[in-house]
Amino acid sequence: MSLITYGEAIRQAYREEMRRDKNVFLMGEDVGRWGSLYRSSKGLLDEFGPEQVKDAPISEAAIAGCGVGSALMGMRPIVEIMYIDFITIAMDQIVNHAAKWHQLSNGKIKLPIVFKTQGGAGRRNSSQHSQSLENWFVGIPGLIVVMPSTPYDVKGLLKSAVRDDNPVVFIEHKSLYFDKGEVPESEYLIPLGRADVKRTGEDVTIVATSWMVSFALKAAERLEEDGISCEVIDPRTLWPLDQETIIRSVKKTGLCLVVTEAPAEGGWSGEASSVVHEHCFGELKQPVKRHCGLRTGIPYGPVLERQVVPSEESIVEAVQELVTRGALITVQSGTYNFMEGKDADVDGIDHAHVGRSDGRGGRAFLEETGGRGR
Amino acid sequence: MSEARLRELYEQMLLLRHFDQLSLQLKLKDLIYSGYHPYEGQEAVAVGFCGALESDDMLLSTHRPHCHAVAKGCTLEAVLTEMMGRVTGCSGGLGGGMQYLDPDHNFYCGSVVGSNLPIATGIGMAIKQQGLDRICMCLFGDGASNTGSFHEALNLAAIWKLPIVFVCENNQFAEAMPVREFVACERISMRARGYGLEEITVDGNDVEETRRVASALIERTRRGEGPFLVEALTYRLRGHYVGDPEKTYRAREEVEVWRQKEPLTRARKKLLQAGVNAAELDAMEQRIQDKLETLREWALQQAFPTLEQAIDHVYIPLGKGENTCH
Repeated sequence: MSLITYGEAIRQAYREEMRRDKNVFLMGEDVGRWGSLYRSSKGLLDEFGPEQVKDAPISEAAIAGCGVGSALMGMRPIVEIMYIDFITIAMDQIVNHAAKWHQLSNGKIKLPIVFKTQGGAGRRNSSQHSQSLENWFVGIPGLIVVMPSTPYDVKGLLKSAVRDDNPVVFIEHKSLYFDKGEVPESEYLIPLGRADVKRTGEDVTIVATSWMVSFALKAAERLEEDGISCEVIDPRTLWPLDQETIIRSVKKTGLCLVVTEAPAEGGWSGEASSVVHEHCFGELKQPVKRHCGLRTGIPYGPVLERQVVPSEESIVEAVQELVTRGALITVQSGTYNFMEGKDADVDGIDHAHVGRSDGRGGRAFLEETGGRGR
Repeated sequence: MSEARLRELYEQMLLLRHFDQLSLQLKLKDLIYSGYHPYEGQEAVAVGFCGALESDDMLLSTHRPHCHAVAKGCTLEAVLTEMMGRVTGCSGGLGGGMQYLDPDHNFYCGSVVGSNLPIATGIGMAIKQQGLDRICMCLFGDGASNTGSFHEALNLAAIWKLPIVFVCENNQFAEAMPVREFVACERISMRARGYGLEEITVDGNDVEETRRVASALIERTRRGEGPFLVEALTYRLRGHYVGDPEKTYRAREEVEVWRQKEPLTRARKKLLQAGVNAAELDAMEQRIQDKLETLREWALQQAFPTLEQAIDHVYIPLGKGENTCH
């Protein structure tokens, strides 16, 4: 094993796949000379040349369309959209073409494209460079959606995404590129569509994605000190979702918190929550709780942007509340009453706690601002 | 062009004209379900350009694709029954009249205007990189030339010198929007200059001219001189779709003026002047009509896809692809 960054793990995946198959190529804005914005393809232009590492003009529709056309011809493109916010320009190609052609050709055409991009907050870039837009892609039949959270996962999943014959939307997180983790020296793959139990526990299941996984793990450590044992599950692939791993865990713990950086409303967190309700209803001590980013544009600067998305502290609070509520209901009535949860949020969603510096929670903030926070 | 050659092209145009009319009849009987976009008047573009390609060349078409498809070599059966939603169609009856894929004949079309230009760049890039002796042709209308995709794709194709012939089939209307009001420059082909490309305009109603220019550009593209952008000036004799409110955007007199210049009349006149017997041409037309009548009867017998077929192939189950390792 060696300790490397998320960015280096991506670079290793590129290198191994490009060496293995000359049809694999990377294309995008500044992937060559710069080696990509966060240097995940640094040095690859020199090593593989401009046929496999292509700098493209600022033309997201053409970049994505180039992926569709070249995949049609038997190549295996990795097309990089620098920020997921810019994928809006490429949506037509991804949604109307890449996701449709396999079906429209009765399975004759395969489009093994990786639409690789990065999203999320944490680098002080405000609302046009920090969004979590994965929910859009989960809603499109024909696409696979992957969100890796560790160096080990990003390497193994990227290699699998390159080898998979479906179009894969592969969403990295801008705040993870310089995080380090253990990665095996020898080659390995991680299957798409399989969740990973990042930490085992008995009392609460936390399902968290992407950047949120690291916060969930830190929160779990702190909660352990208070005697609350958390199991942390990273689905890794949002669609198709590994329901089995989540269900197995919740049947054991009876409590489930879903944590995403994206706002809860209309999102994948609702899908995950529904899966748990549909399959674990009898075992649940409390309804699934969602702890998600506020429904707002990501504000500018280092302070506010952290306050609108879940954090280690806010996850700890959310878990404590879920556990307390679950325990109270069980002890007091011996039965489940979903409407009697202690201090339940008005809309059943626990938004990221805002204004934590002065100890106020999300609900207080919402009341205080007359709901403007949403 | 020899008289025999022109006669061949005329015959192909006649086939497209009658195929379009057959489709129109089926649409009026509600046997074609999606919006049907008639092609009447534009046949010299399909025959001249699409018909000039080799079978392994790639063709990307539009939401008005049926005549392009047939001129490229897709079977009449597959194209007609796709429009009719039957399982024998190019896309198994799941695409309909505006979007279907026929990889066996290297034909692809879709119903989002302008989308096909970026895809052409990917095809062109792969052809170039793999050193294949093939080219890509991409047809689109005057409306598509106003999309961002047009600009992005033309620029990319030009900087990478890709083997693509972009053909702007200017039929004067983007749905109800007259090109003279919605395109700022006098000729769409003038935009080629902005990408460092030649400005090429062709009379899209003269099949000898469209074929001559198409063959020359295809040849030059094969030699590595591409990409090219050519504008073919033609005229949509019918509405954007059957029964559209035409009077909101054009006068009947205007249509009549263009009808005098439509490609079949012009080709026939030339053939007659060259001494071809009118009865012979009429007999040719009758044979085509008979053939299409047989086609129509066959098509009506074809089955519709099942729900199972409709939801098959949405994606390849993970781990089932040839290249997967899990």
